[in-house]
Amino acid sequence: MIELRFHRELYDGNAVDEAIKSFDRFATLERAEEPSCFVVRVTAKDEARERKVANELGNFALGLTIRSGSTLGGSE
Amino acid sequence: MTEVTGDQGIPADVVEHHLDRGAVSLRVDSALYPLEAIYAAAYVFIDRCYVFLDRVAEGKVRVTLSPKGAPYDAAAAREVVGEFANELLSCAWRAQITRESRATIEAVTAQALSGARGAPSLDDLEAFDFSDEAFDDPLGIAMSWEEKYAKNKKDASKTEPKPEEPKAEGGVEP
Amino acid sequence: MNLLQLRRRSSTFALPFNHRVVGGKVLITNTEGAFLLLTPAEFERFAEGNVDRASELFTRLKERNFIRGEENRESMIQRIRTRKSFLSFGPNLHIIVVTLRCNETCVYCHASRAGMDAVQTDLTKELAEKTVDQILKTTNPNVTIEFQGGEPLVNFEVVKHTIEYALEANKKVGKQLEFTMVSNLSLMDEDKLAYLVGKKVQICTSIDGPEHLHDKQRKLPKLSAHQKASYWIKRINDEYERMGLDTSLYHVEALLTTTRDTLPLWKEVVDTYVSLGCKALFLRPVDPFGFAEKTGGRVEYPRTEYLQFYRQATDYMLELNKQGVQILERFAAIFLTKILGGEDPNFLDIRNPCGAGIGQVAYNYDGKIFTCDEGRMVHEMGDSTFLIGDVTTSTYRDLMGHETVRALALASNLEAQPDCVNCTYQPYCGVCPVHNHRTQGTIFGRMRESTLCAVHKGIQDYLFEKLGAGDPQTLETFKKWTTVRDRTHFLQSCAV
Repeated sequence: MIELRFHRELYDGNAVDEAIKSFDRFATLERAEEPSCFVVRVTAKDEARERKVANELGNFALGLTIRSGSTLGGSE
Repeated sequence: MTEVTGDQGIPADVVEHHLDRGAVSLRVDSALYPLEAIYAAAYVFIDRCYVFLDRVAEGKVRVTLSPKGAPYDAAAAREVVGEFANELLSCAWRAQITRESRATIEAVTAQALSGARGAPSLDDLEAFDFSDEAFDDPLGIAMSWEEKYAKNKKDASKTEPKPEEPKAEGGVEP
Repeated sequence: MNLLQLRRRSSTFALPFNHRVVGGKVLITNTEGAFLLLTPAEFERFAEGNVDRASELFTRLKERNFIRGEENRESMIQRIRTRKSFLSFGPNLHIIVVTLRCNETCVYCHASRAGMDAVQTDLTKELAEKTVDQILKTTNPNVTIEFQGGEPLVNFEVVKHTIEYALEANKKVGKQLEFTMVSNLSLMDEDKLAYLVGKKVQICTSIDGPEHLHDKQRKLPKLSAHQKASYWIKRINDEYERMGLDTSLYHVEALLTTTRDTLPLWKEVVDTYVSLGCKALFLRPVDPFGFAEKTGGRVEYPRTEYLQFYRQATDYMLELNKQGVQILERFAAIFLTKILGGEDPNFLDIRNPCGAGIGQVAYNYDGKIFTCDEGRMVHEMGDSTFLIGDVTTSTYRDLMGHETVRALALASNLEAQPDCVNCTYQPYCGVCPVHNHRTQGTIFGRMRESTLCAVHKGIQDYLFEKLGAGDPQTLETFKKWTTVRDRTHFLQSCAV
């Protein structure tokens, strides 16, 4: 299992949700919330697949966050 | 004197290699590089790397880059992190000069695009679909004079039905 | 000279300027594109605000609007307006790829060619008409339709049909219409020539230098590509002469693509062009598009070596001009027109913002529309970032309002570009977002790592060194290179 911790100040929650929807057919994705993070746990049949799905999901969530133009709690 | 590593001259405490995961990470000071610059630089790299952002401490963002495709190669990772650092600097500077030169940039771009596009023809106007767009009327131009000012009349609420609350976003009144 | 080295920099004397040391002098430029070459001592006095009002230096600085409070605002506004006059109009250059088929195989091919049996890459007459309809919607009163390929003579029937259709359609809209064709000329014959000359189509070809180099880089099965091109260049120029046209103005234009093998042959290249009757030579470095990227290892070179080649070739051209030979270097002419003439020649690749979409549009054989020919070439390499529509379904305003067109206008605005914003050459320069995208993965690019920036800076360094040296014959030649003489013969008569 790989755990991805998307910091709320850096990732848009909707983008993370959208990424989960897009990748849940490739692995088992479990979503949880913590005060500072959206947590996504990725479980797949083997480690390589887990790593691949986690990587792609991370890129997808980041891409959507940036495209959404969200003003998150960054340093600006 | 800052100690530097072989990683394109980046200080040693800023870059970290993760051999097990085939990744390299860079700690970025948010005071020097605003989030919009980090996003902009990250976006440039998502076609060739997996990019993950993390807040490791107050005012510090860690950018983890994992080159796609080929097996992890320390030399390639150094190349990537060096290029990312350059791109980050470029994006931070661009963000700053865009703010400083906004008026000029907007004037030139607006003139370029409007000059190229020209005025809409009657066919263009006829084909324009207004139906699916919220009608934004912040100045109340589309309202009748009575609608606009009726609520200011002292007895308006007594003598006339109350006008429906305008739905325009960012309206002036609560 | 570095500003930090100065003892007492003044923040109130000068209007905003950028500076650069060139050939022992200090070049200063300002927003309106005025420049002065100062001695280090003059620059020091200028930067410290220590210039006597009665001095000749004060007058020079004042005339060029470098002194705060002494500026002529009307002239500043007028000069900026003149430099940016192209912003008021839409695309002028419309490139139609009539086929990808080509009978030559070039080591650096920019156009992503297809084999001669790939007839599916031919533009059809129906799509050609739709393309012309789209082109004539531009807000620009001047329209140049450029036929490209592949090799356009392979699909000559469609070239002819496009010309006839455009001439007819233009009767309703009255654009100032011109046609050009970029061809390797190997499939030219007398009938085609008669048609093209009769329809006032400007003809442009490629010459890579002397025969042995040209034929090594441009393979024409069983024949010499150089001999074919040379024959037709002379034949076409003879035809212009027979028609009574001024051959110093009307002649075949040829383009060079500089490869690694070209670099030591700078003199042979210039001599070849002169012997073929060419009046201009465009010393273009190889681009990262088309096959050039795949064969980059064989054809590429460090840009410092290119700039050395450029200096040698252009020095030689200047010498030839002193001997009465008419030959100009195109890069130099473009920059000098901006530097000395205060006008923008509207060369779309060195413009601010660049011409992608708003200055030029490329139409592929299959009806797809791209922001520019470079964007079209990148598409042929499998990356459709610069695809903005198609001739069947897109409206003109869809294309001009396309988010990619907007993004490129912003990305190529030098006011928003790190390095460019502080560059002394900013008033005369331009960037290519497609080149940036291809080489650096971002349309904005990082100029300090850009080979295109290195070339532009290096060429302008050379030109300002020459201007600073002040050799009268060189200055006279530069003046001639910036004198634009309209080739009115190539304009189609139009009537609404």
